Amino acid sequence: MKILLIEDEEALRDSIITYFTEEGNICETADDYASALTKINLYNYDCIVLDLTLPDGDGMEILRNLKNLHKNDGVLIISARHSLDDKLSGLNLGADDYLVKPFHLSELKARVMAIVRRKSFDGNNFIVFHEISIDGMAMKTMVNQQTVNLTKKEYDLLIYFIANQNKVITKSALAEHLWGDEIDLSDHFDFIYTHIKNLRKKLVEAGCGDYIKSMYGVGYKFGA
Amino acid sequence: MKLARKYNRVNLVTSLIILVLSGAVYYFAIHYILTSKLDNDLKIEEEEIVASTRKYDKLPLPSDFKDQKVTYSELKPGDTLERHFGNTTYYNTDDRESEPGRSLVTTIRAGAKDYSVTITKSSLEAEDLIRFIFLITLGVIVVLLVTLAIINRFVLSSLWRPFYETLKQLKAFNLADKNEFSLQHTQIDEFVELDQSVIAMSRRVRQDYKELKSFTDNASHEMMTPLAVINSKLDTLIQTEALSDRQGELIEDVYLAVNRLTRLNQSLLLLAKIENNLIKDEEDVILDTLIVQKLRQFNELMAAGNLHLIQEMEPQRLYMSKYLADIMLNNLISNAIRHNKPNGEIKVLLHSGKLSVANTGVAKALNSQRAFERFYKDTSSEGTGLGLAITTQICNLYNFKLDYHYQGERHVFSITF
Repeated sequence: MKILLIEDEEALRDSIITYFTEEGNICETADDYASALTKINLYNYDCIVLDLTLPDGDGMEILRNLKNLHKNDGVLIISARHSLDDKLSGLNLGADDYLVKPFHLSELKARVMAIVRRKSFDGNNFIVFHEISIDGMAMKTMVNQQTVNLTKKEYDLLIYFIANQNKVITKSALAEHLWGDEIDLSDHFDFIYTHIKNLRKKLVEAGCGDYIKSMYGVGYKFGA
Repeated sequence: MKLARKYNRVNLVTSLIILVLSGAVYYFAIHYILTSKLDNDLKIEEEEIVASTRKYDKLPLPSDFKDQKVTYSELKPGDTLERHFGNTTYYNTDDRESEPGRSLVTTIRAGAKDYSVTITKSSLEAEDLIRFIFLITLGVIVVLLVTLAIINRFVLSSLWRPFYETLKQLKAFNLADKNEFSLQHTQIDEFVELDQSVIAMSRRVRQDYKELKSFTDNASHEMMTPLAVINSKLDTLIQTEALSDRQGELIEDVYLAVNRLTRLNQSLLLLAKIENNLIKDEEDVILDTLIVQKLRQFNELMAAGNLHLIQEMEPQRLYMSKYLADIMLNNLISNAIRHNKPNGEIKVLLHSGKLSVANTGVAKALNSQRAFERFYKDTSSEGTGLGLAITTQICNLYNFKLDYHYQGERHVFSITF
């Protein structure tokens, strides 16, 4: 998976790169408008992670350029602006998703993965992790070719875990992902526990390995 | 008391006093002048009588003609009479009626006898003159007062109109809306100056307010980036191997604090946005459906507190931003859940243009004045303290009425559309 990260904040850039490259993804960076423009002109990416506020230009312009170049790169906007207008104009200019800062790296990863999946298989999106295979179109989960009935939240959880495999994911990231950031669940993390417990039980009962581990009380890790 | 009225009153009272005083002075002056003229006439008559008596050594005949009457009477020896003028009545034989008169009583010696002479002159003409003058003066006073009153009423009120217009605009002045002060058309320097000062002041205030707002806005935005950095660094930190559970707990606390700060920031930004009227995506919102959706979303939270939900909905459409409708409902419902007690109750009613959310909770009414203030919250609350302030702003934006009351051990927040 080839990713271009356009972000001027060095500390944030470093964290994102570390989080993404560990798995052998190719992750390139651009820290300003000019270099970003050069890169999108020269190469193709599976997904471009784009910060809208750059020191020497507007991120929206990059979107316009991409459109003019008839490129099919997936674009995820990350912005500190939580404004509906920005979101809508970004999406209208061809961005695939919009994530407001601050975000969890796991959320960013899950969104990027979703975009890449949608782009690369022309909508036929299948996720395979060891004995688990998921048909993203039909929202069907199978373990060793056996269908497992998951609730919507359990299904979302599983996809999120697979997108962030071998990473520690915090409970608050999971809560935000499942319930949206409108609802402040900070004092109700036990819900996540219930859903994870159920998911784990269903998977193990279907003959799947136990991949979900609780980590340091902060969160969970999904991995073989 | 209105300035014009106060001014009118002072003006009229002063004019009245001065006019009455001057009328009185006038009256007495004319009275004095006419009386001394009469007295003069009487003196001339006396001199004539004296001259005639001296010449013929006998009294002239008593006479009574032309408003003048002379009578004589003999004085007994030893009687003395002081010469004096006096007011008396004069009997007019032509008209057969008494008229006011002026008399001079004096003594005269004729033929070794003392006589008292009374010369009486009718002062009717003088009195008439005085009355006439007095009436004219009175007429002038009345006309003057009426004119003054009219001038004051109409001219003053039209003179002051620019002032009242400016005042009206000042009263309607709202920092948040963009209406500029309109300049009054007036030639009066003071009002022009007032207008200019008010306009200058409003611009300055607006500018300051705008700067303050954009400061809040910028500060909140600028804070988002470091928050994003903290969050991402924490996410990276927990990927490092072998953290202890204790370290995990600490990191979790930092996460929670960052999360709260983020929410606070977002709420401030949202407030600024609503105040600036920057959210303009109004559409038809089917409120009852939206509420049912929201309640489903909060289902698990309610189940966790074992809260009993009662809902009664009537169809209700609103023309507003769906995003804000969402936030409004989120705030009301999440408050009702957060401040509830275990096994409590939540009652959501929507009928006849009124939404009310009632919940059990602390058995004490909130301070209904302060509950809607920013950052008002009880110490146990995990929220930002901005939820109700945001809800209030949203209601203000669409002219909904947000109320709180405590009734039957329920905290009831209601919105009338």
